[in-house]
Amino acid sequence: MVAIDIEHLSKKFGDFTALSDVSIDVQPKEFVTLLGPSGCGKTTLLKLISGFLEPTDGVIKIGGLDVTHVPPEKRDTALCFQSYALFPHLTVKENLEFGPRQKKISSSERKARIDDVSEKLDLTAQLDKLPNQLSGGQQQRVSLGRALTMRPSVILFDEPLSNLDAKLRDQVRIEIRRIQKEYGLTAIYVTHDQAEALSMSDRIVVLNDGRVEQVDSPERLYYAPKTRFVADFIGDANIFPGEVVGAISNGLWQVETGIGSFSVTALEAPKTKSVSLCWRPESAIIDTSGIKAKVVHRAFQGHFTDLIVETNETPYRVQTKRTDAQEGDIIQFSVSPDEVILLDKDT
Amino acid sequence: MTLRRGLLIIGLLTPGLGLILALIGTVVYIAVSQSFGFYSLNGISEFSTEFWSKMVGRKIFKRSIQYSIYIGVLSAIFSVALAYPLAIWLRKPFAGSNLIGAILKAPLLVHGLVAAFLFVNVISYHGILNQFMQWLGIWSEPRRLQNDPNAYSVLILQTWKNMPFALLLLTGAVQSISDDVLDAARDLGAGKWDRFRRVIAPLTISSMQAAMVIIFIGAVADFSFQVIAGPTNKQSLSQLMVSFKGRGDWHSAAVVGVSLMVIALVGSAILAAVARIIMRGRIK
Repeated sequence: MVAIDIEHLSKKFGDFTALSDVSIDVQPKEFVTLLGPSGCGKTTLLKLISGFLEPTDGVIKIGGLDVTHVPPEKRDTALCFQSYALFPHLTVKENLEFGPRQKKISSSERKARIDDVSEKLDLTAQLDKLPNQLSGGQQQRVSLGRALTMRPSVILFDEPLSNLDAKLRDQVRIEIRRIQKEYGLTAIYVTHDQAEALSMSDRIVVLNDGRVEQVDSPERLYYAPKTRFVADFIGDANIFPGEVVGAISNGLWQVETGIGSFSVTALEAPKTKSVSLCWRPESAIIDTSGIKAKVVHRAFQGHFTDLIVETNETPYRVQTKRTDAQEGDIIQFSVSPDEVILLDKDT
Repeated sequence: MTLRRGLLIIGLLTPGLGLILALIGTVVYIAVSQSFGFYSLNGISEFSTEFWSKMVGRKIFKRSIQYSIYIGVLSAIFSVALAYPLAIWLRKPFAGSNLIGAILKAPLLVHGLVAAFLFVNVISYHGILNQFMQWLGIWSEPRRLQNDPNAYSVLILQTWKNMPFALLLLTGAVQSISDDVLDAARDLGAGKWDRFRRVIAPLTISSMQAAMVIIFIGAVADFSFQVIAGPTNKQSLSQLMVSFKGRGDWHSAAVVGVSLMVIALVGSAILAAVARIIMRGRIK
C-alpha cells in the first residue's frame, strides 16, 4: 500500500490556480522532494498534505485513508517549518513533549521518546534551554525532534534549510536524511534548491505553474528530462531548437541545429520533425574535430573550467577539465549521442 | 557613577518622573496623614488611630470592601475573557475587520456617566428592553431591572467600558504571535482550546496581566456606574468615601481612600500573580 496517494488535486485561490490536477503517490519510507521555482505551488501542495489548506478538487489519502477534509491536528503527519516555529516560551524538552502530550501519550512513553530523539539529534545538553538560547542549527534539530516525537506516518519539510548558512546546511541535510532512514519515515520535502533535491531524494516531483512536470529519480531527472523546463531547471543545460533530418541507424537520429549537427540516441522515433535538443555542458568533449565554437568567457571553477562559447552568434556553455582554453580561442567539441536528449518542441 | 553624572540623571528625570512622583506622593501622603488624624479641616490635627479602629468595626466598610473587590475582579475577568476571542478573531485582517475593530473600541470614547444613563434608559421599568420583551410575549408585564441587588448592571457597564481597552492590549500581543507557531501547535495535535491555553495565553501573558490590573484598579474604585446603575443596598468604597466626605468626616473618608489604594495595589498584584500561574501553560 502506498503511504500517500494524491489524486487529481487542484487548488484555486479566487481566480488564481495554485495547483492543477496533481497526482502523485509516495511509497512507504520514501524521501520525495517537491522541487520548483517560487510560486510553482510546492508549498501549497505541502499545506494540502498537512491539512492547512483544503483542496478545490481531488483526494488525498494517507495510509489508505481519505484525509482530504481532515484538519491538521487530526492527521498522522508532522511538519518541520522553514522558520522552525518553536514555541518561544517552552524549553527544548517542553517543545519536544508538546505533540505527545496533545496525543495523550503516557509519561513513561513520552520520556522514552524524548530521550531517544534528544540522543539521536544530540540535544541532550540543550533540553532545559529556551529556543532563543540555541543556534540556528540547534533550533532546526529541535524542530525536527519535535516532529519525530510524534512518530508520524509522514514527515513533511517546508524548506527547512533555507535559514542556515551553507556549511550548516550541508550538515543538517545529511542529518535529516540519516534520521529519516533510521526511523524509516516517509518524507516529503519542499525546496527550490535543486542541489538539495538531487542530493537527498529518492524521487523528485518537479512542479511548474501548479502542474507536475516530471516525477522521477534524481539521476533520471538529470540525465533524461522529459520537458524543456525540467532540463533547464535541473542543472545546467544547453537547449537548441532543431530539425530531425533522418535516421542514421536503428535508434540513432541526425538532428540539425543552429550550432551544428548532432547524432542522438532515441529508442523511439521522434513524434515531430521539429524538436528541442538538450545536452549538459559537461557532456562536451573538447577535441580536434566536431562543432567549432569561440570562447567568449572563461571561469575557472576548481575541478572544472566553465566556458561560455559562441557558434553562429548563439551563446552556450561548455564545461571541461582542461584549463588551457582562453578567451578568444576557437575550440572544437563533440557530444556523445547517448548524452543528447530529444525534447518535444512544445514542452 | 560620579556625583556630577548622578545629578545630571536626576535633573533629566525630574520634569517627568519627578512631577509624577510629586503628585502621587502628595496625594498618598495627605490621604495617609488624614487617616491618622493629621491635616484636620475642622478640628485638632494630631496623631490618632481612632478613625481606623472605628472604620474597621463598621459593617458597611466590610461590605463595601467585599462589593468593590467583587466588582473589580469580575469586571477584569469578564473584560479580558471577552476581549481574548475578539483579539484572536481580529488577529488576521479580513474585509471589514478594521470597521469591526473600530466599533468594538468605540466605548473608549463614551464617558462612563453617559454610558450609565444610556444603559439605565434601556433597562428602566418603561425602557426599551422591557417593551421589547413584552412585545415578544416573553414577559407579560415590565420587570424591575434597574439597580439590581447583584450589580449585574454595573458588571455589564464595566465590561462594556473596559473590554475595548483589554482588546487594544491583547490584539497587539496576539498579532505578534507568528502564524507558523500557531500552525505548529495545530500540526502537533492542539485544537482551538489547547492552542489558546498552551500557546496564545502564555505568549500574551504580559498584556493580559496589564489589562487585568488596570481594569481591576479602575473598577474597584468605581463611582459613576455604581451611583447610577448600582444596587441601592450596597456601596462601593468610592461611594462610601464620598458619603463620609459629604458629611464633613474627612478623616474617615481618608481611611476609606487609603484602604482603596491598598486594595488596588494588593488586589492587582494577586490578580496578576494568579493570572500568571493559570495562564503560564505550566498547569498541564
